[in-house]
Amino acid sequence: MATVHFREIVKNYGKTRVVHGISLDITDGEFVVLVGPSGCGKSTLLRMLAGLEDITGGTIAIDGRVVNDVDSKDRDIAMVFQSYALYPHMTVRANMGFSLRLRNEKRALIDQRVATAAKILNLEPFLARYPRELSGGQRQRVAMGRAIVRDPKVFLFDEPLSNLDAKLRVAMRTEIKALHQRLKTTTVYVTHDQIEAMTMADRIAVMNEGRIEQLGDPLELYDRPANLFVAQFIGSPAMNIFDGVARAGAVEALGARWPANGRATDGQRVRYGIRPEHLEPAASGIPAEVIVVEPMGAETEIVAKVGDAALTVMMRGRSSAGPGEGIFLAPQAAHAHLFDAASGQRL
Amino acid sequence: MNRYWREARLWLVAIPVLLWTLLPIYHIFLFSISTKDSAFSGALWPDHPTLRNFGTVFRQEHFYLHHFWEQIWNSLWIAVAVGVLTLFIATCAAFAISRIKVRGGRTVMNAALFTYFIPAAFLAVPMYKAMGTYGLLNSRWSLVLAMVTLASPYAIWVLKQASDKLPWELDEAARIDGATPLQLFRLVYLPLMTPSLVAIGTYALLLAWNEYLYAFLLLSHENTIPLAVGLGHFLASDDSPWELLMASTMLFGVIWSADSPPEQ
Repeated sequence: MATVHFREIVKNYGKTRVVHGISLDITDGEFVVLVGPSGCGKSTLLRMLAGLEDITGGTIAIDGRVVNDVDSKDRDIAMVFQSYALYPHMTVRANMGFSLRLRNEKRALIDQRVATAAKILNLEPFLARYPRELSGGQRQRVAMGRAIVRDPKVFLFDEPLSNLDAKLRVAMRTEIKALHQRLKTTTVYVTHDQIEAMTMADRIAVMNEGRIEQLGDPLELYDRPANLFVAQFIGSPAMNIFDGVARAGAVEALGARWPANGRATDGQRVRYGIRPEHLEPAASGIPAEVIVVEPMGAETEIVAKVGDAALTVMMRGRSSAGPGEGIFLAPQAAHAHLFDAASGQRL
Repeated sequence: MNRYWREARLWLVAIPVLLWTLLPIYHIFLFSISTKDSAFSGALWPDHPTLRNFGTVFRQEHFYLHHFWEQIWNSLWIAVAVGVLTLFIATCAAFAISRIKVRGGRTVMNAALFTYFIPAAFLAVPMYKAMGTYGLLNSRWSLVLAMVTLASPYAIWVLKQASDKLPWELDEAARIDGATPLQLFRLVYLPLMTPSLVAIGTYALLLAWNEYLYAFLLLSHENTIPLAVGLGHFLASDDSPWELLMASTMLFGVIWSADSPPEQ
């Protein structure tokens, strides 16, 4: 249980700066997800917190103590790696108890802690096995078990689910979240998968090119993205975004008038954003031509052509429209997003 | 049909290779069970095969064999010492270069490897001088040190390549788990490197076991030389007891083939 504070963190690799002065405060027991495309610096930030990378500038504090020059082993953290990093020559039991063994803890205490962790993670039948005898999901759980046994101040996860198949990933997502709700240990979780971020996080930090683009709770990021990058990154299928000009409380774009909330001045060049589920087929509205219909059961995804842009429309239920047919789209004005065309910032 | 062809081709290669390998050994064996008179008869099997030569060797009942057991012990002592020392040096070096990434480590490794451009025979005289300076001539240690010098660069290089293949995350996980570099070395690195260590240890051991030139040069007393040099003494006279030489050779070679661990 601890707070984590990043202050003006800078990281250079040689002459290349990969992290540009990041500040981030994580409260006790919080689950924070760092999300962003590969190369955005999220893993580097996590590894600096873990003590696996030197910090070029700024300070990192765990529970109020600056740890810049503290060894990994003395930071009281536990990390789960993408590759699991289980010791191949040790049994599950030995893997999980390794950190305690290094601390010269008593055999009985190690056994007890390992047993408790194994019970939480349903690993009891596998304690005597070697990592190579386990499935991917089981190895993942052992890696988590190794972290739990230490009872650290902070859990660090570095893309822990990337090596699992889609179905298992969903299951492990739930397990990790349940584990956090049970243990309430401060957690920093790195992923490139925005769905993982959305479903698991208390707060998400969307990162891009070594900076935090926006920090907030998942729905805040979804409802009010601070800039174009966040708008495009968060949400699946992605938000429709196209160029337009603000005119009398609406936006003229793709040969049609799109309702907006009027935060742009008349004649201003803007980027107009609308999420697929806020763009519904209706009896009247903006004319569009259906290109592809993808029924998914409860919802139907339609790719429709308006002007020269292909927009994604997500409607509840099923659609009778077929490719080539004309439909009308009704954008919900309350859910329209306007961004400045030059800066990409939300208007 | 195709399968038979493939099999036949395999045999066509295998049989000559097998003969090539086994023929000299068979020759040694033939000599060692022949009497002195029939040793050079040219027969594929002696008329009166005998194990008496081995008895003579075991009981050291010949001028050239007076120190047989002592010399075989020297061979063993030196080979094991070279194996252990080379392993120790090469493992530590490989760990430092590959895992701790010591500054300049790669340069040291390349420099060590570079020494192989100079043939070992050229180094024999300087080595002799060096051992003389340190008063090590005629001590088994001189040969051990010389052989470790010759075996280490290759051993370091092989072990470095092998340890580069271990996932880096294991080191990081161990560091976070609280391992000191020494604990990392002992509890994670060494167990994972075992297969390579066995291979390199065997390499160094056999290199020393088979060494003749350096042993001949650095050691000259009947009771310090290894058996390889002792056997060389047989050739000092015109009427060498070939049957005894070959019987000793059988014993010299057989020790390791009988002792080598089964392939995993």
